[in-house]
Amino acid sequence: MDHPQTIEVLVRRVAREVRVRRAEHWGLRGAFWGALVAAAVLVFKAALGLAALAVAPALVALGAIAGTTYGFTKRVIVQDVARLADRAFGLADRVATVLEWADRPDRTPLVDALVADTAARVSTLESRWIVRRAIPLEGRWLPAPLLAGLVLAFAPAMHLPLGTIGDFTPSTEPEQREERTTTELMEERSRPLQTTPLKRPSVEERDFAQKSGTGSGSTAGDLSAIFKDTALSSQRPDFNSFLKKGDERLKLLEQVDRLPDLQSDFTSSQYKMVYRKSKSLLSGLSPDISPRKLRELLDEMERLGRKGGNWSGDATEGMEALEGGQTDRALEAMQRALDKMRAMEEAQRSGKGLRGGRENERGVRGRDHARGGEGNGPEDQDFGEGEGLLPGKGRSTMPKGDATARLRASPYDVGVEGESRRGKKEGYDTNLTGRAGQMPSRLMYLGVVGQYRKMMEDAITREQVPRDYHDQIRNYFQALDER
Amino acid sequence: MTQDARVEAFVTAFEALRAEVEKVIVGHREIITHVLTAMFAGGHVLLEGVPGLGKTLLIKTLAEGLELSFSRIQFTPDLMPADIIGTNIIVEDVDGRKHFQFQQGPIFAHILLADEINRATPKTQSALLEGMQEGAVTVGGASRPLPAPFFVLATQNPIEMEGTYPLPEAQLDRFLFKLRVRYPAIDELNAIIDRTTQSRHVTVSRVMNGPTVLSLRELIREVPIASHVRDLASTIVMATHPSWAGSPEVSRRFVRYGASPRGAQALVLGAKVRALAEGRYNVSAEDIKALAMPALRHRVILNFEGEAEGVDADTLIGQIVEAAEAITASGREVFLR
Repeated sequence: MDHPQTIEVLVRRVAREVRVRRAEHWGLRGAFWGALVAAAVLVFKAALGLAALAVAPALVALGAIAGTTYGFTKRVIVQDVARLADRAFGLADRVATVLEWADRPDRTPLVDALVADTAARVSTLESRWIVRRAIPLEGRWLPAPLLAGLVLAFAPAMHLPLGTIGDFTPSTEPEQREERTTTELMEERSRPLQTTPLKRPSVEERDFAQKSGTGSGSTAGDLSAIFKDTALSSQRPDFNSFLKKGDERLKLLEQVDRLPDLQSDFTSSQYKMVYRKSKSLLSGLSPDISPRKLRELLDEMERLGRKGGNWSGDATEGMEALEGGQTDRALEAMQRALDKMRAMEEAQRSGKGLRGGRENERGVRGRDHARGGEGNGPEDQDFGEGEGLLPGKGRSTMPKGDATARLRASPYDVGVEGESRRGKKEGYDTNLTGRAGQMPSRLMYLGVVGQYRKMMEDAITREQVPRDYHDQIRNYFQALDER
Repeated sequence: MTQDARVEAFVTAFEALRAEVEKVIVGHREIITHVLTAMFAGGHVLLEGVPGLGKTLLIKTLAEGLELSFSRIQFTPDLMPADIIGTNIIVEDVDGRKHFQFQQGPIFAHILLADEINRATPKTQSALLEGMQEGAVTVGGASRPLPAPFFVLATQNPIEMEGTYPLPEAQLDRFLFKLRVRYPAIDELNAIIDRTTQSRHVTVSRVMNGPTVLSLRELIREVPIASHVRDLASTIVMATHPSWAGSPEVSRRFVRYGASPRGAQALVLGAKVRALAEGRYNVSAEDIKALAMPALRHRVILNFEGEAEGVDADTLIGQIVEAAEAITASGREVFLR
C-alpha cells in the first residue's frame, strides 16, 4: 500500500527542514574554522602582501560553503524524520508506524485504518518549522575570529623577526680553550655541578680568574668580565664555614658502630647477628681490644640467652670477669656462649626444632614461663606453648585485637547492638545501627514468627512434643507476642 | 463492519464498562482503567492495598457489569488446592455402580476473585499457576479447560504480614499488572460516605458478555506497533537487569533480578489496549511509559541494598524508563546524527 500523498509531503517537508538546519549548523562550524585560518593568514600579511587580504575572506567563505554542503548532503533517515514529525505535531508515533507498517506483508486491517486516520490528521496540520535551530559552539565564537581578521586586515603589517638568533659565542674562545693545559681541563671537569643558576656567574668568574692567573683584564666574549666590577667579584667561598656546618656529620661518619649495618641480612635471626658481631670482634682480636665493645656484646648475648638460650650464664660470667679486669676469662666465657649459640643454630637447621616463626616465639615464651616467668615485657605475658589464640584457650585476658575495620567502613553497613530491656519480662533487645537502622525493617520477622507458631501448634496437636513441655513452649511464644 | 467501527465499538464498550464500575467505586479511575486494560489484554491482576479501600468491591462490581460467571475464594491458611480446582468424588449411578466424577472447584468461572491470596500456603497458591498461564487445570491426569475468558483478580494486604505467605516470583510473574490501591482523596472519601451511608441502591448494568470480550481481545492483537516503540519496551525490560551492559546505575545498585520476557509482553499488550481505548490505531511510546509501573513493579526484585535503603519499586522503574528512553533513538536529536 502506498503512503498517502499528505504523509509523504509531510515527511519530505520535515526532511528538507532537517537538511536546512544541518546546513546551518555545519555551515557555522565551517565558517568558524575558515575564519580562524583566515586570521592566521592575516597575521603574516606583511610577508604575503596583498594576497593575504584576498585569501582571508575566501577562506571564510570556503569553510562556510564546505560546512553547509556537508550538512545539507548528509543522509537523512526517513524513520527519524517521521519520529520528529510525530513528536513535533503530537501525532503519537502515527507517522512512524504508518511508514513502517504500510508496506509490510503481515499488516493487519487496522493498519489501513491507521493510514487513513494519520493522513486525515496530517492534512489538517498547519505548515510551520518544527526543527529547531541548533547553534554549535563554534557558531557562538564565530565573531571572535571574524573580528580579529578585520582588525588584522586594517592594522599595519606586523614585522615579525624572521632572522636567526645572534651568535654570542666569542670567536676567540676556542683558541683560549686550546691554550688551557690538560690538567686545567681535567680539574674543570672534576668540579661538581652548580645547582643554583644564580651562583653560576660568580663561580665562573672565580674559575676564570684562577685559570687566567692574572686576576684582571678580560678578553672579548669573556662572560666573567660582566661581573668583574660587581660586588660578587669580591666574594670568595668560605670553606671553613662549610667544614663547621658539616662537622657534626663528619663526626657521625667516624662513629662507625652507630651506623646501621646495611650489609646485614635484615631477615636473619638475632642469634646470627650476634654470632657475626662476635666473630668480627674476635677475628680482629688485638691486645688493646675495647672492653666497652666486649661488654656490649656480652650484655646482648646475656639478654638473648635469657629469652631462649642456655648461654646466659656464660655471658654473665664473662661480664663479671670483665668487670674484674680479667679479659682472658671474659673471652673464654664468650667463646663458650658462642659455641652454645652455634649448637643451637645447627640444631635448628637440622630440622628438629623446625616450626613456624610465631609458634617458635610462643615456644620460647612458654619455656620462659615454665622457668618462672622472669620476663616482664608485654610479649612475656602471652601464651605458653600449646595454648592457642582461640577464646578460652589462652590465659591472657588481653583482647585479641581491634574489631575489623570493615564494619561501618561503609554507610551501608549494618551493625547490631544489644541492649538490656527492662520490663515485666527480662529481655535483650537488638538494635540495628547504620543507615539501615533508621529505616523500617523489611525482614519478614512477624511472618516468620507466625509460621513458627503454626508449626508449634501443629507439633503440639500431633503430640510430637512431650506433654510436660507444652506450657513452656506456649509461654515462650506468648513472650514473643508481648514484645 | 469497518475497522473504524470496530475500534469505535471497543472504545464504547470500554467506556461503558468503566462507567458501570464507577457507579459503585468512587475514585480509583486509574485502577479501574488498568483492571479493564488487563482484562482486555487477557492478563490477570493483583491488587494490593490495605483493607477497606474497595478492592473486593471493585472486582465484584466489574463482574456484575459483565455477563460472565463469577467465583470468589477467600484464601485462608487451611485452604487446600482441591478446594480451588475441584476433586474426584465417588458417585453412584441408577444401576448402583460407583464411579468417580469430577466436582469442579470455584476456579471454573470466568472471573475469579482470589481474595487475600497471600493468606494461603504456597502449595495452594500454586494451584492457580496452571490455570492462570494455560487456561486449563489438570486433575487426576486429565486436563480440563477453564471457561474463556478466564480472568483472575487477586487481592493482598501489604501490611498484615503475620500469618501470610508472600507470593513466589513464579506466581507474581503470571499477573499482567500489579496495582497499588491507595487511599482516596478527601472529596472522594466524602463521596464514598454519601454513597454508602444512604438508602440509595445502585444497580450495575451488564454491558458486555464473554464472546464480546473475546472478540475485542482479538482486535487488540491487530494494533500495530512501530519498531522504535517496541525497542523502547524491550530496552525498559532489559534495563531492569543489573547484568545488562546498558543498565542504568540504579539497576546495577539495587536490583537483584530484573523483569522476565512476560514483562515485555505485558508492556506491549497493555499499551495496545491503552492505545485502542483512546481511539488510536497504533501504539505510542507514551503508552509504553504509562504502563511500565503496573507491568514491572512486581517483576523487579530488589537486592539487599535496595531493601535496606527502602527503595520504592515505582521510583526505581521511573528512573529506569528515563534511562531507557535516553538509550533508544527516540531520545536523540535527529539532525545531529
